[in-house]
Amino acid sequence: MSKMMTVDVLSSIKGAQHSEAVSKLFEVIKNANTTNSSSFNNQKQAVSLNDLREDVVVASSALEKQIIIENFPKEKNGFLVVAKVIEE
Amino acid sequence: MSKIREIHNQLINQEISCLELIKSKLDVLKLNTHNTVNSLLETFALEAAAKVDAKIAKGEQIGLLEGIPFGVKDVFMVQGTYTTASSNLLKKYKSPYTATAIQKLLDAGAIPLVKENGDSFGHGSSSENTIFGAVKNAVNPTLVSGGSSGGSAVNVAKEYTVFSIGGDTGGSVRQPAGYNQVFGLKPTYGRISRFGLMAYASSTDCVGPIATSTEDIRIVLNAMSGKDVKDQTTYASEEITVANILNTEGVKTVGYFKNFITNEAIDASVKAAFLASIEKIKAKGIAVKELDFFESDTLVSTYYTLAMAETASNLSRLDGTNYGNRIEGDNLKDTYSITRSENFSEETKRRIVGGNQVLSQGFSDEIYLKGLQLRDQISKNFEKDFEQVDVILSPVTPQAPPKIGDSLKDPLAMYLSDAYTVGFSLGQLPTLTVPQGTETGLQITAAKNNDELVLKFANFLKDTI
Repeated sequence: MSKMMTVDVLSSIKGAQHSEAVSKLFEVIKNANTTNSSSFNNQKQAVSLNDLREDVVVASSALEKQIIIENFPKEKNGFLVVAKVIEE
Repeated sequence: MSKIREIHNQLINQEISCLELIKSKLDVLKLNTHNTVNSLLETFALEAAAKVDAKIAKGEQIGLLEGIPFGVKDVFMVQGTYTTASSNLLKKYKSPYTATAIQKLLDAGAIPLVKENGDSFGHGSSSENTIFGAVKNAVNPTLVSGGSSGGSAVNVAKEYTVFSIGGDTGGSVRQPAGYNQVFGLKPTYGRISRFGLMAYASSTDCVGPIATSTEDIRIVLNAMSGKDVKDQTTYASEEITVANILNTEGVKTVGYFKNFITNEAIDASVKAAFLASIEKIKAKGIAVKELDFFESDTLVSTYYTLAMAETASNLSRLDGTNYGNRIEGDNLKDTYSITRSENFSEETKRRIVGGNQVLSQGFSDEIYLKGLQLRDQISKNFEKDFEQVDVILSPVTPQAPPKIGDSLKDPLAMYLSDAYTVGFSLGQLPTLTVPQGTETGLQITAAKNNDELVLKFANFLKDTI
């Protein structure tokens, strides 16, 4: 991964540039004083690992499946159309 | 006065029919000129109302929320309804399923009327960043409604809905509640399931009720709370009873952040009104302590750094492949980037780009990881504060609502206007806006999981200031 990626590529937004307003926010963080980072533990786990939900597959309802298909942007002869993937 | 109880009594005493009630609310929503409506759920609402009337006619009991009309910010999934996030990308997207919080209200018999306008994907503090037109303030329509749940706050303030459900990531329920002079609660993070709420910044996203009384906030909060296997950050909570929040003796010490009040950004009238409220609280025999806190620019920068990083990740799924307004390009990558470039608003693009910037090599250590450290310190600061005081009181915003159009010209000013709300989001604390004390209200905050104390203190304030 020696290739540099610019923010427009990373963001999949054509011509995206850094914003001056946002850069000013980041400058504040760069210059902020933080205490010893050894206390940096609180946010590492969003959920308790002792209380995870059952690892089972729950089927969607017929209505849910129908709406998911309706939301698909492009359809041709009963097939859902996506752009060609193998190309580079 | 609880509007929910008032309407409930009118329904069971057959002073009004549910159908008449729902029709009258739909009529005012259709005619309203505040741009609060993205879509109306007319057919569903009228059918549901007829069922409530039939039940009453048969002499059956109805629940407290049964037949009560409410609004839903257009970032919540409600099966079969358009759920646009006020964005071009999702303007024709239909929810395949229903958000847990909304499903709980449906199960209790409440009737959703409207998907409400707000800043696209929650990105904004003025509800101007939307394809449905800027939401106009309920009190003065030349001013912004606040955001991002602006449409929800205005609908409640204008009584188009009895209550509305907003989403609060950095102040998006509390700030518009303040701007439109109603109550708005950001509960403790995890008290209400986020399942079916479009993700903005998952570590601070909260579902929050907006209403015209603490009692209605309590009723709706109880209905939506609880552990949900579909959101692993939820926790089981006990019902908050009327008796517990009417007994206002629990609060002995109130704190406020002195740097919020000495900050040069605060308007003189907001400062004077806040300090006058503090004096009235002292006069009731409650001890008031000044507390030290982080500077406003550090709070705002920490919040936006983390929120942008999270939204860049959450919104990366929106590429037009499976859903959304796809715009075809020459190949797959081109299709992604044209779809996103053409459909996202300038503010959304600014946040995605900022988020990808802080997550990339060379920036993550000095910005993103440092932001996480600061958040940790902010949380620890709150823990220390709540060893000294029962609740923290603060203004909602440093200034009155801006004129429509002004926020779009100066995004940095808009970010900084969130100075008083974002800290409590980073701490994942319960915070309620009450329409008292300053022009844009007051925020009451308690320690994590102590939402009851927030409502209790709000009842105390009602009779104090």
